[in-house]
Amino acid sequence: MLETLFLNIKANKQVFLMSVSTTVTAFSILGLFFLVFTNLNTLLLTWDKQVQLIVYLEDKISKRQSVKLESSFKSHKEIDSFSFVSRKDAWKKFKNTFSEKSKFIDVLGFNPLPASYILKFKDSPDRLKNIRTVAEKIKNQEGIEALEYGEKWLSRFERFMIFLRIFILCVGGMLCTGLIIIISNTIKLSIYSRQEEIDLMLLLGATHRSIKAPILLEGLIQGLIGVIIALGIVKLMHVYVRYQFQGSIESVFRGVDIQFISNSFFWAMIISSIFVGCIGSLISINQFLNARNRK
Amino acid sequence: MIQVFNLYKTYEGNSPALSNISFTVHDGEFIFLTGQSGAGKTTLFKILFGWENIDRGQVLVGGINVGKLNKNNLYILRRKIGIVFQDYKLLNGKTVFENVAFAQQILGSNRKNIRFKTWDALKKVGLTKKKEAYPNQLSGGEQQRVAIARAVVNGPQLILADEPTGNLDPDISIEILELFEQLNKQGLTVVFATHSTEILRSKKHRLLTLNRGKLV
Repeated sequence: MLETLFLNIKANKQVFLMSVSTTVTAFSILGLFFLVFTNLNTLLLTWDKQVQLIVYLEDKISKRQSVKLESSFKSHKEIDSFSFVSRKDAWKKFKNTFSEKSKFIDVLGFNPLPASYILKFKDSPDRLKNIRTVAEKIKNQEGIEALEYGEKWLSRFERFMIFLRIFILCVGGMLCTGLIIIISNTIKLSIYSRQEEIDLMLLLGATHRSIKAPILLEGLIQGLIGVIIALGIVKLMHVYVRYQFQGSIESVFRGVDIQFISNSFFWAMIISSIFVGCIGSLISINQFLNARNRK
Repeated sequence: MIQVFNLYKTYEGNSPALSNISFTVHDGEFIFLTGQSGAGKTTLFKILFGWENIDRGQVLVGGINVGKLNKNNLYILRRKIGIVFQDYKLLNGKTVFENVAFAQQILGSNRKNIRFKTWDALKKVGLTKKKEAYPNQLSGGEQQRVAIARAVVNGPQLILADEPTGNLDPDISIEILELFEQLNKQGLTVVFATHSTEILRSKKHRLLTLNRGKLV
């Protein structure tokens, strides 16, 4: 069977190579989408872990109200720890952060910043949800002026990620459909170039299975070679981007490492390529054999 | 070996290709199937090896009811039959040996068996010295011998030869006919389709004559 397979590929080299090139292109595009998604997802998870709930206090908060707030924080098991930032400390930190603008800051002449509690939440898959829930529960408590945890832009980013997931699924689906058609047509050309031989095989008593097997294998190989080369291209892109931009990214987003596509995406691509190759071949050979059915 | 009962076959929009055909071919017989071009010889052959459907009637080949076979088990019938065509149907990219061995490969035989049986088939048709030649290096008669070797290599019970001498000179045609005679003497049932009067006169065998789809 392998011998037949290699002879077929050799006999239709150009068509085979064209089909593999198309497979490479399609899976490279898919791989690049996965690469972007993997890293955006990692970024989201990193930000997610860094999100804290900041409880800004009223200037006239009483000691009793502070103690009541702290008890409330302790009663929520989702909260890992909390720390108090006085007005003085907040102002000092602000001046350090914007030291280049110190002249403008000094002109102010007073400290506009409130005191606050910084609430750190425990690591869990529902971390963001827990932050929202606790925020809702405590927002109306006495002594609290405002709450801040970057809710709006995080929600928008999450919605963007959902959209990206759906977009990638749709693009992936379209690419796979296109590839099935392309591989099917390539295999069809291969079949028609061997039409005489296949007809002879039928007349000599070959089973449909023995005729289909090398054809299916041909499609599978087209898909696999295509995806392996595509993964190589995506890896090269990953290495290049990492080499060029890792430093810049780390300076903005600490602890974020530009990653290659996740294992699940990797295997999804491999399995898709096998699926696409087999289905494309099956469509063609079945069409051919059905046309050969007795009239 | 072959039993045909009230066979009808019509192609869409045309007059019947075969009409109320009934005949029997016994094991080990040699039959000439004759008739003008378009009489229905090839259509009958195509039905016998399952390449065409039956509209009405019953056809039994080697005990197998041809009409009851589906696309997935037609191979059972075809492995009992050796088919020889007017245009040889050899694969130009394969040598003589490979062309004959091809039939054995389809059965999934092992290499040793393939070599042995292919050599044996080539001996029967007298082409062992040409085993490495390609079809385009052979004469018409030699190509037909290769086709015959391929038809018998799997040890079929029946040979269907559809105008095997149609493209050959009279002298070569007689040689090919002799080859079929030898195979028949070895026990193979042969149905030899021809419209050549020289061929028909050269040997005394039972004649089945088709005229416009009917047996005369």
